[in-house]
Amino acid sequence: MEDGVNKAHHQRHSGPKAARKKQRRLNGLGVGDEEDPRKRNPKAFTVQSAVRMAKTFHRAQDLKTKKHHIPVVDRTPLEPPPIVVVVVGPPKVGKSTLIRCLIRNFTKQKLTDIRGPVTIITGKKRRLSIIECGNDLNSMIDLAKVADLVLMLTDASFGFEMETFEFLNICQVHGFPKIMGVLTHLDTFKNNKQLRKTKKRLKHRFWTEVYQGAKLFYLSGMVHGEYQKQEIHNLGRFISVMKFRPLVWQMAHPYLLADRMEDLTNPEDVRKNRKCDRKVSMYGYLRGTYLRKSSQVHLPGVGDFTVNEAGFLPDPCPLPQQQKKRSLHEKERLIYAPMSGVGGIVYDKDAVYIDLGGSHAHRAEEEEQRPSHELVQSLFATHSTIDTKMASSKVSLFMDSKPLASEELDESGYKMAQEEKLFDPESGRVRRKAVFDGDGDDDEEMTENEEEEDDTASEDEAESEEEVDSRSQVDGGKEMSPWPLKVLKLEEKEAEVAVERPAFADADDDLEMDSEAELTDEEENESGDEEHDLSHDSEKAIVLSGDKTSKEESRLKTDLQKPMTGEQKEKEPTLNLEVDSADDDSTVDLTSPGISESKAPNPESSDIEEQKDDYKEKISLSLETTGGLKWKEGLAQRAADVFKQQSALNLQKLVYGAVSEEKDEDEEGDILGGIFHVSRPDTESKKKGNGLDSSIFPVKNPHDWDMEEAMNSVRDCFVTGKWESDKDATTLLGEDDEVYGAFEDLETGEVHTGKPGELKQDSEGGEEDDSGDPRGTEEDEEQTKRLDKKRKLKEMFNAEYDDGEGTYFHDLKEEMQKQAQLNRAEFDDQDDETRVQYEGFRPGMYIRVEIDNVPFEFVANFDSCYPLILGGLGTSEGNIGYLQMRLKKHRWHKKILKTRDPLVFSLGWRRFQTIPLYYIEDHNGRHRLLKYTPEHMHCSATIWGPITPQGTGFFAISPVADTSKGFRIAATGVVLDLDKSVTIVKKLKLVGFPFKIYKNTAFIKGMFNSALEVAKFENASIRSVSGIRGQLKKALRTPEGAFRASFEDKLLMSDIVFMRTWFPVSVPKLYNPVTSLLQPSSERGTWTGMRTVGQLKHDLGIKTKPTKDSLYKPIAREVKHFNPLYIPKMLQRALPFKSKPKNQEKLVGAPLDRQRVAVIKSSHERKISALLSALSTVNAYKVKKQHRKEHQQHKVFLVQKRKQQEDKIKRQKEARKKIYRMLGQKEKRKMKSSLKGHEEA
Amino acid sequence: MRLSLAALSGRAVRITGIRSQELNPGLRDFEASFIRLMDKVTNGSRIEINETGTTLYYQPGILLGGKIEHDCHPQRSIGYYLEALLCLAPFMKRPLKAILKGVTNDQTDPSVDTLKVTALPLMQRFGVDGEGLELKVIRRGMAPGGGDIYIYTDHMKGANSGKSPGFGLSLVAETINGTFLSAELASNPQGQGSPVLPEDLGQNCAKLLLEEVYRGGCVDSINQSLALLYMALGQQDVSKVQIGPLSPYTIEFLRHLKSFFQIVFKIEAQPMEEQKGGDKVLMTCIGVGFSNISKTVT
Repeated sequence: MEDGVNKAHHQRHSGPKAARKKQRRLNGLGVGDEEDPRKRNPKAFTVQSAVRMAKTFHRAQDLKTKKHHIPVVDRTPLEPPPIVVVVVGPPKVGKSTLIRCLIRNFTKQKLTDIRGPVTIITGKKRRLSIIECGNDLNSMIDLAKVADLVLMLTDASFGFEMETFEFLNICQVHGFPKIMGVLTHLDTFKNNKQLRKTKKRLKHRFWTEVYQGAKLFYLSGMVHGEYQKQEIHNLGRFISVMKFRPLVWQMAHPYLLADRMEDLTNPEDVRKNRKCDRKVSMYGYLRGTYLRKSSQVHLPGVGDFTVNEAGFLPDPCPLPQQQKKRSLHEKERLIYAPMSGVGGIVYDKDAVYIDLGGSHAHRAEEEEQRPSHELVQSLFATHSTIDTKMASSKVSLFMDSKPLASEELDESGYKMAQEEKLFDPESGRVRRKAVFDGDGDDDEEMTENEEEEDDTASEDEAESEEEVDSRSQVDGGKEMSPWPLKVLKLEEKEAEVAVERPAFADADDDLEMDSEAELTDEEENESGDEEHDLSHDSEKAIVLSGDKTSKEESRLKTDLQKPMTGEQKEKEPTLNLEVDSADDDSTVDLTSPGISESKAPNPESSDIEEQKDDYKEKISLSLETTGGLKWKEGLAQRAADVFKQQSALNLQKLVYGAVSEEKDEDEEGDILGGIFHVSRPDTESKKKGNGLDSSIFPVKNPHDWDMEEAMNSVRDCFVTGKWESDKDATTLLGEDDEVYGAFEDLETGEVHTGKPGELKQDSEGGEEDDSGDPRGTEEDEEQTKRLDKKRKLKEMFNAEYDDGEGTYFHDLKEEMQKQAQLNRAEFDDQDDETRVQYEGFRPGMYIRVEIDNVPFEFVANFDSCYPLILGGLGTSEGNIGYLQMRLKKHRWHKKILKTRDPLVFSLGWRRFQTIPLYYIEDHNGRHRLLKYTPEHMHCSATIWGPITPQGTGFFAISPVADTSKGFRIAATGVVLDLDKSVTIVKKLKLVGFPFKIYKNTAFIKGMFNSALEVAKFENASIRSVSGIRGQLKKALRTPEGAFRASFEDKLLMSDIVFMRTWFPVSVPKLYNPVTSLLQPSSERGTWTGMRTVGQLKHDLGIKTKPTKDSLYKPIAREVKHFNPLYIPKMLQRALPFKSKPKNQEKLVGAPLDRQRVAVIKSSHERKISALLSALSTVNAYKVKKQHRKEHQQHKVFLVQKRKQQEDKIKRQKEARKKIYRMLGQKEKRKMKSSLKGHEEA
Repeated sequence: MRLSLAALSGRAVRITGIRSQELNPGLRDFEASFIRLMDKVTNGSRIEINETGTTLYYQPGILLGGKIEHDCHPQRSIGYYLEALLCLAPFMKRPLKAILKGVTNDQTDPSVDTLKVTALPLMQRFGVDGEGLELKVIRRGMAPGGGDIYIYTDHMKGANSGKSPGFGLSLVAETINGTFLSAELASNPQGQGSPVLPEDLGQNCAKLLLEEVYRGGCVDSINQSLALLYMALGQQDVSKVQIGPLSPYTIEFLRHLKSFFQIVFKIEAQPMEEQKGGDKVLMTCIGVGFSNISKTVT
């Protein structure tokens, strides 16, 4: 290797190195193999077809828009009500177990007996109300209407059951809540493959019912009687992150899923009449939308009621306040299930009582009764009025502590109690202690308890106060002490109500501080009181305002004392209370005189105007007060702030308080004496009811528009006024004396020449007057104008730039968003009392609703396992009328439905039985009655039922349907119309018979009974059964009801003539609400209501009597007898000899009946025979031809044969001849020989 | 007015003691005529009036609409009837086409012209719109309107001017936001009272308009109730309107609204600003979410 030539370099042509090198080179050229083929080969991906591109684009847009829903204003309140989770499924499927597990999962609590809804807090912003739905169809219907989420349990080892599908259908009709399936009993499957198969099968079936991809949960085996922890946890996660669609019906109606129910009937009434109508209160979270006071509600299963009274309570299960932490604190995981009796809590009307275990706490409680007893007695008569006031707030007793604001009380007190009832049984069982941990409170409680002990000294120690309550309620007849403690509390609250003035909180404080109420403050107080009363309850407001006005009037004449006494009369109970508790309650004492006294100074503000009892004057008064309350000026700064609000309140009171005021005035007048009686109501009522109902605003004291001050007051209302800069208007006007001149100047002046249309004022002389304007201001103006213009341009640009895709949809959405914000913001700063007054109770509030006149069965048969729902009704939904609906028999229902068979409908909140009439619309718009629903088609139906907005879905169940009868939902549909005039008709055929027939005219009888009836049907078209059409012409005199008619052809006497008419059908007015909640729980499933005719007949054993005509009879056919043909003699004589009968008889061989019957062939037979004859002809021809041919041949043959014969004979002859010749020759020879021989011989 | 609200809310009304204390008790003719009109636009309503006419029971039916023709009583002008119809019209089953015959202008009620220029734009603001929304004065009933340069002029002659002579004036001011304020005045009817000079009438009317401007607000005093009604019946959202001082009619109307729909307005007085006219009132309410239940859906 020393001088060997170096090996030549071989370039690599393959292998990684070569590939890399090649790649490098290609990349350098710019055609390296890019990953993206679009880049590598862009030409291949250019637009191939414009049409196709358009199509793809179109489709993409379609898909995009399909996702849009009509945007709705988001009306969910800031603190939404708990989500209603309904656990539904057939029995023994594990519903209660699931609920228990879920509750345990969220709250670490174990509930044994679950009754009614259980409200739990599951997260920082979410609460659930879990309720179990029994297998009863009524509860299913009711709960489907209020559910937000449905957990649908299915026993996987069994498969789906009918109830499941029934429930799904119910849901579908009433708006589809979220539905989540849960499969249980999965541990029964031993075979894994079978398990998988079952799961898949059930899942797909579930999907077809709900939607593709609906969530189906699997709960595999049980551990110690509970589901597996992890699975429940997952389920809980799913529930707590779930989003919900707003449902139309639910969003448009307020409703309440009642947590608890209480009977508030006066025990005395119950004692007198055990079956008297009850007064009942219900508690629950308000859902849906705003509930207004005294609105109509429906209790499904009971009936319609008007809300007697409603109030809101502090939330028993409030969401946690601070949201800093990631997860919920243990103490915040609250549970609220009053009917399940969680933690031994019992609820009274407006208080929560906790069953105490501790010994000393219990003793303390019992001591409280005595003073309350006295108070109760004094207050007993006025119980209800105080009630109404108390409904909304909830406080405890403080004899000597200073009253707290209601919000404070509510927040701190109630929430704490909640917590305690669950978690702190040791330290916090005592309600008040937990709430306000101060010594004074304890003392107070002690005294209360002492008193109580005296009263119920005989009571067993173990009995708690609420037990006492409940017993006394039940007994009813006992002299005293229903709710001893409660009433005491009510009084306290009464006192507090008087003190509490949310709008003027600071002013009140002042009042409390200085014991001598100043005159000025009193005025303020009064208005505060009034305002408060207004917001609290209208009744009170009436009383107060009435007093006030009466006092105002009388003050002019009488002394100050009189209204005072009147006031005291009205307030008697309250004052009594004050006297009673005067020694230990100083605050109450102090304030209430303040109230009564405050009446006195008030009239100072009312001037001479007030004496004219006119509305106009009142308005001006109220407005005047805003500006003219001079006495207020000396007050502190805050008074001025208050002031504005007060004037508003005055206005409010003027509008809403005045009606009742007047009424009271009238009453007062009666009481006081004749003077008032005569003078007052006259002018007042005249103005009100009988006066001119004109919308024109009468001007009683017009401004003097010739005065300059008056002009100045409106100057800036005009476009020429002081709008942008202050300068122009004032300076200009300063120079002008004449009023109208000023306008003229301005009109044509410098600022607004561009908009002459704005100002409708007369402007004739256009004197220009620019001289007053200094230069500088003009420049400033220019500057601002330019800036303005710039800003506007920028805004426009921004709008354009940002809303690149600003479609109509987006705009709409934005608008909705704005509205939602406005909704939230409007009343946000006000306290709940005021808010409730304006907007009603808002959803999410925990409210208490009181209802009167509830049938006693409702209370007697109350079963907390059944859902109790309070559905609010919209305007005019409480009425009953005719409803037109589109209806279709459910395809799973076995039978078709018969007109006039009663059905139970579920429509809106209600379940009711009614009688539907089915009809269908003909092409000419006629609504023709149907006897039965079509099998697979929609038809219309009319019912007499509750007015429900159009578009509401409904379904019907057959009332007698029980579980064994297959699918119970008979029909589904939707409300279309609420027309009160029903136009269903059914066909009616009138039948008549001709009794005289002319050519085309016939007289027909039997169709009508009188000429008058005929006259009504003149020119009506009639028809005969054989199809001859005709027209009714005129009535005949005799017989009665007969008429002349003309036909298109001659009738026969045997024809039947009929007329087709349409007869209006009236809809039966049956509206029978299903009162399932009024029945004992054992009978609830068997509510039948009105039975169908068929059912009735079946039950009573009545057979239907068929009409005689439709019965089958044996057919008796008479033997037809024909008379012999008779030919007159003259005719016989004229007949030809051959045809004469006597000869004819001889001719006829066989008698007629022996003769063969003529056969009439059918066309087919004729064809056959024609074909046959044709064939036979052909055949015959052929045969003939054959014959002829044969004949010919035979002839030839014969000729030949003869020829042969002849030949033969000839031959034979010749042969014979030959033979004879030979013979002859032989003979000859013989003879010759003989001769010779003889001769020779 | 209560009747029309009853018709909307579907609640039955009983009015008792109608002028029972007066010399001439019972319903007036024009009220009877109004009831008849209500009967015409509804279907299935029940009206019971006792013999003396002092008690009236009205059970409303479904608002039907359609074509109706009504002879209004000459005691009140058409405006009286028209106001109620304007309230009801958007909630009818079919579009309402009403031909009202009667007095177009008088001194107690807003005239047809005023309603035309003020109420209809207001309705449009509330979304009541459509091609058919119009008011047409075919003939003048009592008096031809005399106008001025800026003002809607309508001078009818001959048969169209009606049987009795007279003249009236209605002035309308439009704000830059498109709301209208109006005032009007009509001459004394023939044979009643002292004759009025047209010049005086014009001046007085202008003063009235100034008064109206002084009151201010988005809605003029005549249409306050109409606007409030629409607000109350609107969707369940917050609606606000700023109006001038409440007229007695409006106050009465607000009370009716409360009794029929449980709607309470939040009424806030806006203090008077410097040279901006009189006090204003800010009315706020949450609608009831009223839906037209007479309409047919398919």
